[in-house]
Amino acid sequence: MAFVKAQKTKAYFKRFQVPFKRRREGKTDYRARIRLTNQDKNKYNTPKYRFVVRFSNKDITAQIVSATITGDTVLASAYSHELPRYGLEAGLTNYAAAYCTGLLLGRRVLKMLEMDDEYQGNVEATGEDFSVEPTDTRRPFRALLDIGLIRTTTGNRVFGALKGALDAGLDIPHSDKRFAGFSKDNKQLDADVHHKYIYGGHVASYMRILMEDEPEKYQSHFSEYIKKGIEADNIESLYKKVHAAIRADPAAKKSEKAPPTQHKRFNLKKLTYEERKAKLIERLHALNAAGGADSEDED
Amino acid sequence: MPAGHGVRSRTRDSFSRPFRKKGYIPLSTYLRTYKIGDYVDVKVNGAVHKGMPHKFYHGRTGRVWNVTKRAIGVEVNKQVGNRIIRKRIHVRVEHVQPSRCTEEFKLRKVKNDQLKAEAKAKGEVISTKRQPEGPKPGFMVEGATLETVTPIPYDVVNDLKGGY
Repeated sequence: MAFVKAQKTKAYFKRFQVPFKRRREGKTDYRARIRLTNQDKNKYNTPKYRFVVRFSNKDITAQIVSATITGDTVLASAYSHELPRYGLEAGLTNYAAAYCTGLLLGRRVLKMLEMDDEYQGNVEATGEDFSVEPTDTRRPFRALLDIGLIRTTTGNRVFGALKGALDAGLDIPHSDKRFAGFSKDNKQLDADVHHKYIYGGHVASYMRILMEDEPEKYQSHFSEYIKKGIEADNIESLYKKVHAAIRADPAAKKSEKAPPTQHKRFNLKKLTYEERKAKLIERLHALNAAGGADSEDED
Repeated sequence: MPAGHGVRSRTRDSFSRPFRKKGYIPLSTYLRTYKIGDYVDVKVNGAVHKGMPHKFYHGRTGRVWNVTKRAIGVEVNKQVGNRIIRKRIHVRVEHVQPSRCTEEFKLRKVKNDQLKAEAKAKGEVISTKRQPEGPKPGFMVEGATLETVTPIPYDVVNDLKGGY
């Protein structure tokens, strides 16, 4: 065998500094996290809330989180898999669903803190830039947008969720530069385009295009929509109904499933010393028996 | 050319980060809160360049006298000539740790209050003063046998057996 110089010597491992666990998993950007959770020292224990938006392949998670030394605590959360409760069955990870999830979380938090009558937010979603005005009695609920590891591009769905929370009445510092419909040439947000995206207009126009040009692809791609009877023309009114339903009852519903009495194991249970020794003895017996059989054959 | 006496002179080792602990510092340093009157240790974190105290204060303990947005005002004793001055410095929170110097005292205070309340309920009089460790009590030595050791006369022949 040719002589290969070992790339990772023992010295390399001895000097290797392991990154933080969540950095190893590639889930947390610590540079951003330090800047988001650092609270002014002369504000002592006042919590600093982050509006966390994360996307998975089939779900959207929106949470209001505050950081403590023992761990982060979630004040309220909303998931896009809750949207069927409000009448949205298909397309749970698009821009419009992100808007609905942000809106749901915002109204839920305000209801939890009994501020929902004071701060109605933007009831009719127009797509224009809307910021909450503080009333005389209480200042609005302030949170900071936490995107995670997403690349900030114009028209990203996280900003759809942000728009939903803003229209719900939360105070989140933002600029309209990254909303869908912002044109770099004019340096202005086109409110009509944004309005189209909030109500799923981009999905509707793609449905129309496919229906005309490639009906088979339309059948396969939008099969869930067809099953639920959603068509390109009634998408906008569907989302309007969902927004109204969310504003009517944003409270979280507890699931009826009882918590499991015995927790599911995800990894192998560690063996005790006696069990490991017993296993070793078994293995040696088996080896001896097999070895004995071989040597008998050879003889 | 001589070495120079700049502000960070001779801090090569004391301000350097420990082995395999370089890079981002854990978030708990930013999440701690400090109140005026707390005792804190000043320990410089070389990874953060802003708000560093002078190398003299590295390893000193002082009381908090001011809390600002990102920094803490600490009052530290410094001997200047023939007197000790209470110096007030401002230090960023990354270079400060809560001190455990009063921890034992606080625990003892709580325990003493509890003992005094119990004694008052029972009507006893107790002293909660700490006593220094006294001399060890006397004890009997068990299982001792007497063995008398006497010197033996010098035997030339036996001692030469190696090199003779």
